[in-house]
Amino acid sequence: MPNTIAVELRDVVKAFGSVVAVDNLSLSIPDGEFFSLLGPSGCGKTTTLRMIAGFEMPTSGEIDIAGEAQGYRPAHRRPVNTVFQHYALFPHMTVYDNVAFGLHMQKVDKSAIARRVAESLDLVQLNGMDKRRPKQLSGGQQQRVALARALINRPKVLLLDEPLGALDLKLRKEMQVELKTLQQEVGITFIYVTHDQEEALTMSDRIAVMDQGRVQQLGVPEDIYERPVSRFVADFIGETNFLHCMVMQTAPRGEVELAGGIRVPVLWIREGISPGSQALLSLRPEKINLFELSDTYPTGPDSAVVHGHVERLVYVGTDTHHTIKLDNGATVIARVQNFHVEEEPWEIGEEVIVQWDAAHARVFRE
Amino acid sequence: MEQTLRRNPALRAWLLIAPAGLFLLIFFILPLFIVIIYGFLERGTYGGVVWQFTAENFSRVFDSLYFSTFLRSLYIAVLTTLFCILVGYPLAYFMTSRPPRQRNLLLLLLMIPFWTNFLIRTYAWLTLLRTNTGLINVTLMNLGIIKEPLPLFGNDFAIVLGLVYGWLPVAVLPMYASLDRLDRSLVEAARDLYASGGQVFRRVIWPLSLPGVVAGSMLVFIPSLGAFVTPAILGGGKSLMIGNVISNQFLAAHDWPFGSALSTLMMVIMLFATLLYFRSTALKAKEERA
Repeated sequence: MPNTIAVELRDVVKAFGSVVAVDNLSLSIPDGEFFSLLGPSGCGKTTTLRMIAGFEMPTSGEIDIAGEAQGYRPAHRRPVNTVFQHYALFPHMTVYDNVAFGLHMQKVDKSAIARRVAESLDLVQLNGMDKRRPKQLSGGQQQRVALARALINRPKVLLLDEPLGALDLKLRKEMQVELKTLQQEVGITFIYVTHDQEEALTMSDRIAVMDQGRVQQLGVPEDIYERPVSRFVADFIGETNFLHCMVMQTAPRGEVELAGGIRVPVLWIREGISPGSQALLSLRPEKINLFELSDTYPTGPDSAVVHGHVERLVYVGTDTHHTIKLDNGATVIARVQNFHVEEEPWEIGEEVIVQWDAAHARVFRE
Repeated sequence: MEQTLRRNPALRAWLLIAPAGLFLLIFFILPLFIVIIYGFLERGTYGGVVWQFTAENFSRVFDSLYFSTFLRSLYIAVLTTLFCILVGYPLAYFMTSRPPRQRNLLLLLLMIPFWTNFLIRTYAWLTLLRTNTGLINVTLMNLGIIKEPLPLFGNDFAIVLGLVYGWLPVAVLPMYASLDRLDRSLVEAARDLYASGGQVFRRVIWPLSLPGVVAGSMLVFIPSLGAFVTPAILGGGKSLMIGNVISNQFLAAHDWPFGSALSTLMMVIMLFATLLYFRSTALKAKEERA
């Protein structure tokens, strides 16, 4: 099957008065993809979703859905459906009437509606709930009704606006898996708006990280997490250590100098940063290895080594967060998985060798 | 004392309602009983009552003369209520669509008429509507638009107009409240599910704002049915409502028992109307729970 494009945005701008919510956004989302718009509140992700849905019209630019330019077409004439943040179920209607609403408006005949409502409720595992009112359902069940109500219309694209935000953590994790499974089952393109990076990483085929109305990085989850291209992305997705440094050379091999004249190798330096300029080295806490002085540790051209002292230990269950004061005055946090609960290898103040692979360090502008 | 209060929440609750309860008992419930009891007594010659039981006052209520006045009052009250909703609902809807600061200003504007005495405002209408000297007729005749003065005064039209004017803000408030509470994402959800503007209104906005419409209707209907200032002034002494008949019994005819009987009947009817309203909303709430 050829990879057709489900949604395409070309140079889309949305301004509310003097505030630019979405700034010249271009995206191309292929059919069947689980695509996430990820970013902090006010980054323009929800506005983008609302423009695709037809609740807001772009100030300039074009939005195509299934190859058709939407122009100023209103929401009720677009081949997309939305799952709202707080579900927006009709409180005065039963589950059945809620789910049937879209087909009813499209004048589908009664028996076909009944059959498809049953199918949809089956799909979201809510059989037998059709006579209830939204208020009588739990948050998770309401969520499913909202999904069924949207999916029953067999939209080209399903838009989801932080649909799991109101659920508690455990249910949220369950629903993440379920949503992903459901999406693969129905094969509909999902555009998912969230500020929860874990949610985006777990479910998405691709993620667009947004900030200040622009896409900061677009890629598969692994790219976004392992290979962030800017300080914002590294900071927003997961946790990271930032170390001030000066770029010594970019080619043939990257090298930066940390405070105290410690030189470490790096494999990736953001384009446009020239030798001699100040920069920021980003390093994920779980990529840091800790060694005792007596241990052998990796050496070689791609191994970065810095000495330090253990300052603090925070036990968080799966791992322990080690705060290390480096000899150059900087502080890093290393996450070490707890394989052996009975051992407590580090003591506060103990000297430690901090080592990481050059491949894991990313160098951005300050 | 403090200890006792802390341990006894029921006593605390009683103390809280005691002032209002006492006030209502002495100045509301007691007079109410006096009215009901007077309805069953004989009239005194110069007003007042003679302590002699009779049911005759209540049978007189159904005299065709009074009964037709009552039906006319009902008709005027229903008409007033309808117009208040017809005019008030779009206004309430418009207000909820404004940004919060404008909304508060509009609410304030809506309440401004209440700063002036109702009687004075009704007299102001008199100067507008009067047949030969009223501002509207004089202006229209001077402009040559009409030859004969329009019948704007001393009829049902004038009364309904005056009542709609008087009760419109009261009708708007509950409708505004229920429309304001309406989650806008429900409107978007309906749109998203292929509903046109009209369908969104019919299927979502109207049913969800209905409690406000019902509450607004009650707030207009009840005082309109018993109105006597507006019909007395704008009805030109010809077009009377049941409220005028009652006030006449006390002030002109000196027939307190009959006035009391009429009042009691009005109260019973309004009580039923209110009960019906509460039953319908309670039923709705029950339906939603079931």
